[in-house]
Amino acid sequence: MNHASSQPHARFQATDGDIAAINLQSGLQASWSRFGRDPHRAGVAELIVEQEQLTAQYTGDLRAYDRLEALVHALADLELDVGRRALITAHVACSTHRFADARTALALAAANGVEQEEIERLTLTIDQATGSQLDQVLAARRERAVKPHNWGERVPLGALLADLGEFDEADRTYQQALQEYPDVSPFPLAWVCFQLGVLWGESVPIPQENRAAQWYQTALDYLPCYVKARVHLSEIYLNLGQYEAAQALLMPVLTSGDPEVSWRLADLMTACGKHTEAESYLHAAEAGFEGLLQKHLLAFADHGAEFYVGSGNNPKKAFELAKANLANRPTLQAYEQAHETAMATNLPEFAETLAKDAHKRWAQTPAFQFSKLGTFPAVANRQGATHPC
Amino acid sequence: MSDHIDGPRQLADPASDLSDLFAFTSPESADRTVLALCVFPSAGPSALFSNAVDYTIAVRHIHAVGVGDAAQFQPADQEYRFSCRFTALERGTDAAKPVQRGTCTLPGGQVVELVVNDERGATTPDKVFRVYAGLRSDPFYLAWQMSGAQMKKGPNLLEHDNVLSIVIEFETRQAIDLGKGSLLGAIAETTPLPRYRSVIGSPPPRFDWVGRPEQTNMRLNNGKLPGAQDLRDLWNQQTPFAIAEDLKPLFRKRLIDSLTEWDLRDGMAQWTPAEIAASANVFLDDFLLLDVAKPINDLSHFEIEKSTLRGVAHRTGGGRTVNANVIDILTTWMVNHDQGEFMQGGATGATKPGTDQFPYLASPNTQRQTIAQSIDVAAPPEKVWALIGSFGDLAWHPLVEHVKLTGTGIGQLRTVEMIDGKSIVEQLVALDPTARTYTYEAVGGLPVASYTGTLGVKPSGTGSSIEWRSQYLADGQPDIIVKTIISTLFKVGLESLKKRLA
Repeated sequence: MNHASSQPHARFQATDGDIAAINLQSGLQASWSRFGRDPHRAGVAELIVEQEQLTAQYTGDLRAYDRLEALVHALADLELDVGRRALITAHVACSTHRFADARTALALAAANGVEQEEIERLTLTIDQATGSQLDQVLAARRERAVKPHNWGERVPLGALLADLGEFDEADRTYQQALQEYPDVSPFPLAWVCFQLGVLWGESVPIPQENRAAQWYQTALDYLPCYVKARVHLSEIYLNLGQYEAAQALLMPVLTSGDPEVSWRLADLMTACGKHTEAESYLHAAEAGFEGLLQKHLLAFADHGAEFYVGSGNNPKKAFELAKANLANRPTLQAYEQAHETAMATNLPEFAETLAKDAHKRWAQTPAFQFSKLGTFPAVANRQGATHPC
Repeated sequence: MSDHIDGPRQLADPASDLSDLFAFTSPESADRTVLALCVFPSAGPSALFSNAVDYTIAVRHIHAVGVGDAAQFQPADQEYRFSCRFTALERGTDAAKPVQRGTCTLPGGQVVELVVNDERGATTPDKVFRVYAGLRSDPFYLAWQMSGAQMKKGPNLLEHDNVLSIVIEFETRQAIDLGKGSLLGAIAETTPLPRYRSVIGSPPPRFDWVGRPEQTNMRLNNGKLPGAQDLRDLWNQQTPFAIAEDLKPLFRKRLIDSLTEWDLRDGMAQWTPAEIAASANVFLDDFLLLDVAKPINDLSHFEIEKSTLRGVAHRTGGGRTVNANVIDILTTWMVNHDQGEFMQGGATGATKPGTDQFPYLASPNTQRQTIAQSIDVAAPPEKVWALIGSFGDLAWHPLVEHVKLTGTGIGQLRTVEMIDGKSIVEQLVALDPTARTYTYEAVGGLPVASYTGTLGVKPSGTGSSIEWRSQYLADGQPDIIVKTIISTLFKVGLESLKKRLA
């Protein structure tokens, strides 16, 4: 694996993260206000979708998904172009991982005159998220990423390469995206840095925590409100025993609404021997996940499974959630999680079936070589597969 | 929307997205000229400038080097630059009111420091320059709706919108060397600050620029030209006053095609091909023309160009005032060549007119706040509607003591006596039993203005979804207080329904 690109990232000039966050909320408020005055106005509903997606992605305000659903309900009552409404519906469904609904809405949009470019862009997103036709998705992503003024294509290409186990190329793609970023908004820069943190901290077979931590920290330098970057960096600090640093990251975003913050604080308190506080945070995390799962099951099934198979201590529930996630999007990661939760629930036969299915579907990808499913004994023996690990 | 969100890239940081440029004689003193730029279309109440962007208005002397079909305006090399940069937030001791400061560098090198949203602005010691930066009511208005090939009058699409603006006023003779002529061209641009970029790549030369209104959205990106490529991003990357020679034929052809299409929108051709080509050439040199030696008023926008194309001397200072109806002036010119009726759109002014006092752009519009809450219940919609669908019956609400109804049907009033002894008076404005929804307005009892509430029930799975929504302007109490009052009213009511209809 190439380590040549591990030099510290030189920060580019970008709008201050606090200003950008204020402007996002400011713009969002103005957009909803405009929608309230004139819901038919061209572009306003689409802008709300973009702004709410940014809000959810960065600030941890997961009520954004409720507001998006409310938007779709509101649009249903309006005399609106069918294609336009269907495209918005597809985007919102995709945001909450209701991929089947998104495909249905997208087909309706395509049948009602929505531009092919819009259809293709969202179809790629859905295919990538569900692990469908990834060879074709990769080819399309590569083609789109080299087109001029198509910077936004670089990040999903990097993410796909990482999912496929092409870690060095993923790294190069992300680095190139940073170098060629044409704007001053810190959101995309923070996103790329976060993805690089995930790449080196979680995706690669042997995680490089320090390297990942540098990227998460750079993401936070760009955007202090970036809740997910705080959560991931705090996990690393927790592993390294740097408890004060982890707590300092999490406490300011405790009110964000993202239950992962409470979850990591619970882990932190447990590590510090503060069991009463740990229990309190754990209850808050569980309540948070339950609220999210009740409203947006598919959006949070994988996160919920991860919680319940770990600190949430409910493997059976984790298994059910992991199965729901797998049925919704049979990616290698979804197989791995379902397998893990099956084993935690003491269902080895089911786990073996999952491993076999995963082998059939994913054995041809480099990522499978690094997957624990690639070395699952029963599969390896019966399939006669030879895996380097 | 003179240039609002005019390219895919501009969606990234709205604080770098230029929407408008103005140039006019100061209403406070005929010896002073005002330049103003607007960014961040549809900015919310807390919007701020980017601290990574240079906001610049550049002015050059212009010479008319041809008239009639050979009309052309040649910019001089010398440039007067008015550039502003802004800081990151200074939170100080009061975290609720962060402060942003700005520094503007003026022609001649003077520097003036300001505080964003300080209406007094900041003045140089010699009083020559005065600068304001902050949120204002969007002075632009556009009130046409396109329906097929038809243009229909409509409401102002930017009603109630705000923008971030920078207003620079100066003693004309002190800042501009009028010995070189009084005809000027102005552009506004947003450019990146120097980056710490050393490995590969380079920052874009600029994010956005604007000269005359709607160069990009009306002329270069005419949606009526089938299959035409979107040239807006390419145009935005051009250097103002110096469009790339190799790209000029591309832009010129697009302008000719676009102007030809505009000409036919009234079903008549009132332009000859030679006139369209001449007009395209003038539009290709995209800067806001003004003559500081002549009067600039609300009607003078584009008069310099039109007179020159007609082969006569211009009578006004052109420019663009805050209240100028630029869309209709340009639309009339492009569609009927000023040979028919003035094409007045559906609005005769912006949300708020400009003022005669610095900073001349009106104060920001207050945003109507929205509160929307909903719950899902197991009961079917008809059962839920039977319980809550009567405007005069709020017995289901735990915070309501009694309702007194006055009148019948649409227009009836309900006086809601709350358990804390307070009363709210509301009027029914719409009722749709089929859709299971009613809408009402607050008449009194709440610290609000323009309050509209809607209560409705929809099917949701095998049960129902109940939504309660309101929009209002806080009046007499801070937003946060009003929001708490209304949110509590909604939340308690809906939660009681959830229990009752479980």
